[in-house]
Amino acid sequence: MFYRLTGVYQTDYAKDRALWPIPTDRWIALLLLAIAIAAPFIFQVHYVANYMLPWLIWSSAALALTLLMGVAGQLHFGFAAVMAIGAYSSIHLARFGVPFELALLGAGLISAVIGSIFGAAALRVKGLYLVMATLAMQYLVDWVIVNVPAISGGAQATLRTPDVSFLFIPLESVWLYYMALLWTVVVTLFVLNIKRSSYGRALVAVRDKDYAASIIGVSPFRYKLSAFFTSSFIGGISGAILAFCYYQAVTPEQFGFHVSIQLVAMVLVGGLGSVVGAYLGAGFVLLLPMILTNFVAGLGAMGILNVSASLLAHIPLMAYGALIIVFLLAEPLGLAKIYDNTRKYFLVWPFRHGQS
Amino acid sequence: MQPERKHTPEPETASTDPAVPAASHPHWVESDNLIEVLRRNAEGHGDQIAMREREHGIWQEYTWAEYLEQVLGFAAGLESLGIRPEENILVIGDNRPRAYFGMLGAITLRAVPSPAFPDTTPEELQGQMEREGIRCALAEDQEQVDKLLTIRDEGYAGLELVIYDDPRGLAGKEPPGVVAFTDVLQRGQAALEADAGLRQRLLERPSIHDTAVLLHSSGTTGVPKGVPLKHGHVHYSVRNASAAGYFEEGEVHMAYLPMAWVGDFIFSIGAALVLRFTVNIPERQETALHDLREIGPTLYFSSPRAWSNMLTRIQVGIDESSRFKRWLYNQFMPFATELERRRLEGQAPSFGERLWYQLGELLVYGPIKDQLGLSRVRRPYTAGEAIGEDVFLFFRALGLNLRQFYGQTENCALCAAQEPDSIKLHTVGSAFPGVELCISDDGEILVRGDNVFDGYYNNPKATAETLQDGWLHTGDAGYLEDDGQLVVLGRVSEVVYTAQGDRFIPTYIENRIKFSQYIRDVCILGNGREYLAALVAIDIGSAGHWAEENGIPYTSFADLSQKPEIYDLVHDILVHVNGVLPEGLQVRRFVNLHKEFDPDDGEVTRTRKLRRNVIDEHYAPIIEAIYNGDKSVDYRAQITYETGESGALERHLAIRDVGNSRAQEEK
Repeated sequence: MFYRLTGVYQTDYAKDRALWPIPTDRWIALLLLAIAIAAPFIFQVHYVANYMLPWLIWSSAALALTLLMGVAGQLHFGFAAVMAIGAYSSIHLARFGVPFELALLGAGLISAVIGSIFGAAALRVKGLYLVMATLAMQYLVDWVIVNVPAISGGAQATLRTPDVSFLFIPLESVWLYYMALLWTVVVTLFVLNIKRSSYGRALVAVRDKDYAASIIGVSPFRYKLSAFFTSSFIGGISGAILAFCYYQAVTPEQFGFHVSIQLVAMVLVGGLGSVVGAYLGAGFVLLLPMILTNFVAGLGAMGILNVSASLLAHIPLMAYGALIIVFLLAEPLGLAKIYDNTRKYFLVWPFRHGQS
Repeated sequence: MQPERKHTPEPETASTDPAVPAASHPHWVESDNLIEVLRRNAEGHGDQIAMREREHGIWQEYTWAEYLEQVLGFAAGLESLGIRPEENILVIGDNRPRAYFGMLGAITLRAVPSPAFPDTTPEELQGQMEREGIRCALAEDQEQVDKLLTIRDEGYAGLELVIYDDPRGLAGKEPPGVVAFTDVLQRGQAALEADAGLRQRLLERPSIHDTAVLLHSSGTTGVPKGVPLKHGHVHYSVRNASAAGYFEEGEVHMAYLPMAWVGDFIFSIGAALVLRFTVNIPERQETALHDLREIGPTLYFSSPRAWSNMLTRIQVGIDESSRFKRWLYNQFMPFATELERRRLEGQAPSFGERLWYQLGELLVYGPIKDQLGLSRVRRPYTAGEAIGEDVFLFFRALGLNLRQFYGQTENCALCAAQEPDSIKLHTVGSAFPGVELCISDDGEILVRGDNVFDGYYNNPKATAETLQDGWLHTGDAGYLEDDGQLVVLGRVSEVVYTAQGDRFIPTYIENRIKFSQYIRDVCILGNGREYLAALVAIDIGSAGHWAEENGIPYTSFADLSQKPEIYDLVHDILVHVNGVLPEGLQVRRFVNLHKEFDPDDGEVTRTRKLRRNVIDEHYAPIIEAIYNGDKSVDYRAQITYETGESGALERHLAIRDVGNSRAQEEK
């Protein structure tokens, strides 16, 4: 209905492989970007700071993980640890007086190196065994952060982020949001483009069958390691952005095992390997509990829901769990697939399938 | 009987009166030759895109400057190969840029391109080549080259040179006498570089009085006649049509119809040069519909049959669509059709109806036009035969300003057209400015104008019969309405009588029956018989879909056609058509044929017009059985394969009576 394909023709293959060859898709992407840019002016501060900002940052983290799990096919159940490394590295670097721009890069590099070391396990093991190896990383990193006071400042300590500026703009109030937006847009474009580059296709080849990939000349060794490296690099910087732009004070619990599971949930509920899915998954996992809590609390306050306070607190969790199951049952390929189906529904409107 | 609309482009009377009119065309402008126009385009608009061809999924573009270079280079190459002025050059294959370049290259040398349909059989092609003394042929690909070489080896030794376009299967291992288009082009470009004055001499060579193209009447009876059209005819007809608002400058046009058809020469070369169209050529015939959507032309011509197929495609698509979409379609489409019907009757829609239509445009009409690739079309046309009222109304209701025009090969196909604001369902519109129409005493449509050709190729007898005192005798029966709009009834030669003396034109009844999507072809019998009967060829696409929907299993066309349910379906259609026919002209019996009418069997022309004498001969046993009152017939079918071989098949065909209702008919 909204899609118009008449007159969309290409005169070279580069344009044919463009990100959004169909004008409607291009307009949707631009519209979303415009809304994101205008958000501080059109939405209340409360919504921008507490809903949109974390959503953007978690989306960039989910994009990093979906690159590793969805595109390259390497399971990772310790991704919160990668983000923790990035967060702590950047704070310490900034405290040493390293400019924030370089501190971010440094955080990314440190996460990437440590992430690749643990990722090296993927060269030997796959599937559940790789899950175990990455879980080990989660617990090792947790343990190190908690028990090395030089990093965490002590087990119960909270580490405040120093005041920094990015490209001469002091990071405060609305600029925190724009910093996060900039990073998320950069990561989005990066992952979108990786998927259509030869590098991305090599990752997919390794995902689909690593020894088949090596037969056609794609080295699983190189690509598995580089997938861990790239993904951890993005994950580390996302952790740093999360610390500086959202938390502004970090504690080890913010990057615990349950956060890793949440990240995996974002990627799975969103749809493995999908960019749209990363956004939808992060939104679902992050925002839905908040919305449900507010909703149930609202019902309780209005007296419609007359139950005990502890039950009132648990109803949102139960509803949230049920919703995850419902969505994955309805569409095992995730929210991205639901989006894709909806798009196709309109793409062939008013028919059921393409006419030409 | 309601007046019949029909536009057949060939006169077919014959007598003896040698009066070839002299080439005196007062309205021709001396500088109007196609090559001169091409030069002006290349100089004034060299960077504009003149032509696009889809190749391996993307569109290759040619600017006007490149267009001219290709044409001149090819012309110089042809000349160095010994092509002489006024020599005929065969062009055969699907539409390709190089085929157009080649035709214009030949025209530059004052040689005459003679296009042939790509699926012409070797025998027909050999006949054409012998009549026209072809020495040189421009062929699309290996398939056509092989066909030409077979003809050369098996009897027609006159063929000296075959130029091919598509190198696949040929490049590097050309048989003797076969060269690549690119080689000819290179020779020509070398010659142009060696001789600085050659370019200018080539450009000045053609004149408006040269024959630009040798086309062929489709020949429902006898051999096709050559129709030479001069630069002036083409120009004059294009200018007339453009003055009537029929074309506009810079149209985006889809060149997908056969090059041997007059319309393609007029649209893709004549009008395209004069009015600087962008001509778009699909990758293959099979991808034409897809490519059409990619380009989104502004000018679109299609035969009534193709429009009707398109409607079928939409209806099948909607039937298969999800419930909500189908519901929406059913809310809006009948409304729009009804609105359009009333608009043509002169009632303006109310404000509320217009608002509702706009909503429909958003939800249904716009998306459908987009799916078909027609959303940018400002000037959709149809011609060639009568278009079903349902089809015509449907596309007009979608918001496409579909119009009919009328013409023959002999007058560059542009004679009369419906005007945007005075469209009547039963007329084909009024004459273009510069074209005169009148009706002879015996009801035949006559045409006069500077777009009317000067006589058939080497056929003074036919010329004398067709051109009398400057009037072209079209062979169509018709009349003019008070406001000057032309009504076409049918072929003068096709009027026949039943044994009871009832006068009828078979095509009139056939067209009414063919308006049903389930019937692809039908032949009405009854000349000199007691009553009318029909040979029906079902449409395998929509009848097959109908069978699937209704749980009727079938294996092949022949199997499906003999299903009792399909007989019931056809029966109901005939009952419906009988309802609007007078008592003596109702179809009483019919047979579902086991195959479609096929041009390879000679039963229809390449433009799908029935050859009644061939059909009468092929199906004589069936026709006898029908009029003997038999319930079924065993028929031995002769089949001609595309290779030219023939075989035979035994078929058992049922014969059904057409009653007033199905219940009455089944005993």
